[in-house]
Amino acid sequence: MSQLSLKQLEKSFNEARIIKGIDLDVSEGEFVVFVGPSGCGKSTLLRMIAGLEEVSGGQIEISGQVVNDLPPVKRGIAMVFQSYALYPHMSVYENIAFPLRVEKLPQAEVDARVGAAAKVLQLESRLQHRPGQLSGGQRQRVAIGRAIVRQPKIFLFDEPLSNLDAALRSEMRIELMELHKRLGSTMIYVTHDQIEAMTMADKIVVLNAGEISQVGGPLELYHKPDNLFVAGFIGSPKMNFISGKVRKADGATATIDLGSLGTIALPRTSTAVAGQDVTLGIRPEHLSLGEGEFGLETTPNIVEQLGIHTITYSTLSGGENFIGLFEGNPALAEGQPVRMSFPLDKVHLFDAKGLAVY
Amino acid sequence: MTDVAHTTEVAAVDSPATVKPKARVKATKAMIDRYKWYEVVALYAGIALFLFFVLAPFIEGFLVSLKPLSQLFSTPYSFIPKTWSFDSYVNMWTSVPMLGMHIFNSFFISTLVTLIVVMVVVPAAYAFARFSFAGAGLLLGGFLAVNMFSGAVLLIPLFRLMRSLGLLNTYWAMIVPGAAFLIPSSIWLLRTYMMRIPRELDEAAWVDGASRLYTLRRVILPLAMPGIVVVAIMTFIGAYAQQFIFALTFNSKTEFMPLPIGLFAFFGKQEVIWNELMAASFVGILPVMIVIVILQRYLVAGLTAGAIKQ
Repeated sequence: MSQLSLKQLEKSFNEARIIKGIDLDVSEGEFVVFVGPSGCGKSTLLRMIAGLEEVSGGQIEISGQVVNDLPPVKRGIAMVFQSYALYPHMSVYENIAFPLRVEKLPQAEVDARVGAAAKVLQLESRLQHRPGQLSGGQRQRVAIGRAIVRQPKIFLFDEPLSNLDAALRSEMRIELMELHKRLGSTMIYVTHDQIEAMTMADKIVVLNAGEISQVGGPLELYHKPDNLFVAGFIGSPKMNFISGKVRKADGATATIDLGSLGTIALPRTSTAVAGQDVTLGIRPEHLSLGEGEFGLETTPNIVEQLGIHTITYSTLSGGENFIGLFEGNPALAEGQPVRMSFPLDKVHLFDAKGLAVY
Repeated sequence: MTDVAHTTEVAAVDSPATVKPKARVKATKAMIDRYKWYEVVALYAGIALFLFFVLAPFIEGFLVSLKPLSQLFSTPYSFIPKTWSFDSYVNMWTSVPMLGMHIFNSFFISTLVTLIVVMVVVPAAYAFARFSFAGAGLLLGGFLAVNMFSGAVLLIPLFRLMRSLGLLNTYWAMIVPGAAFLIPSSIWLLRTYMMRIPRELDEAAWVDGASRLYTLRRVILPLAMPGIVVVAIMTFIGAYAQQFIFALTFNSKTEFMPLPIGLFAFFGKQEVIWNELMAASFVGILPVMIVIVILQRYLVAGLTAGAIKQ
């Protein structure tokens, strides 16, 4: 049974529709990540689930109960804010104990629960400090501690790592995943960082302009993106797109004219794409140097040597940017033409509407 | 480390007065805080000049309070007393027996006004800072407009109002208009201060089950304390300064009169006892000074402890 379910959820601010009818089911214990570019409505969606924003239409159900009009605390959720929202005048102890003080729990119970949370988060030696004396990572942990003590059914995280530096971010990412394993509670996590989404999520919800673009496991989104938006959003460096026109689609192969790059024949069962303008997608990491099933020649403008791999940036004759990612340190130089190729089974094909064609 | 050593050398080259740069404390100051010796002198001279202009009346007043009355009207007038004593500070209590009462009244009225203003302004400022409700902008504009009228313009309508409410010749006659005129500007001040407290703190408290009032008490009030102290100080001073006009118009009972009116008792039929008048003024200001010094400590403490950091 799903623990959280959104049914045709909508949100408008005056005339502007921010969330345009979202349906989603989240099962108990799942780690769900909402990901999307800024302004796609992912934070608004989270705040609606939290009870901070009113619902304009549709329903939010938690454990089978419609919670549209319930305050956050009655929904059984806890939220961690992007800026941590710690109370600067209170000690770490009092910050973590705040929800328990609101509930007016006896001091012994407060001690026990704060102690337990501090232990989980390794904050025991910091309990008497003020938030201002802590590092970014520790503040983040205090904010998480404040969420844990309530023992909520669902944890909500609003871009919790975006204020940390890169090294700390990957550290906290692992800590959060361990925390999820230990607590086993449902977590919903909002981020614009697709690396966070890919590494942490059981299920990723890709949002675009207030609508769900695709829902699925990280690898599902990577290997089988439903549409151009997801294909471009998931994966780093970005997937390369080449536009073309389908000459022939006979139910077994689709023959596509790529202009000056030649023609390519892809195994596709769809016949509907015949004659359409289509977009070909190929991930930079699926390119290899030299000849292969389909080859093309480009001249890299920029070559980035990262040690573990090498990234080339070039422009195709049609004006599209073309990125290549190769293992190790092959002999590539800026301004020197190079022959790249890719296997046909790694190519994604999108029709004129941007939907994937299989 | 080398960076620091380098900047010290630069400072040494810059100022010829610095012979042994490493021994001078000046070298540890940030570059932006470093001044040449003549710049420092000019700064202090400027401050001294300004302070003299501001404080000259007070200095003169204090010196008058030390002189015997005869010396005040001597020619040539001597600014510095030839003979001086604290006699006025003793005699004033007998020449105006109600003086103690007047000082108490001033203090009492201002304290009550301050308490009323703070109690009204804190929730009002929170509401204006956090809730969007119909007419909020209009009300704030109205408050600003009220501030454009001085109390004196409204004396006659206020008098009629006080009379129909039966408040004339009571403490309330001075407290109620005093508070009313000070509330609007305080709401503006504290509202701005509270708007700087991140909204996410309210939201976090709300998510954790706190009511609006609980959030106000446990989260907003402690963080807004420096702002509230500023409002309290401004109100207290404002109430002290403006009670003159309300006392003069709405009250005729000597025992309720605050100090500014009480000082008229030193104006005799034949002469004005200037030295005792000045002494009484200084003693009358003392409570205000004490209150400010006490509140200021909270102000500084609040500023350092409640720093709102993201």
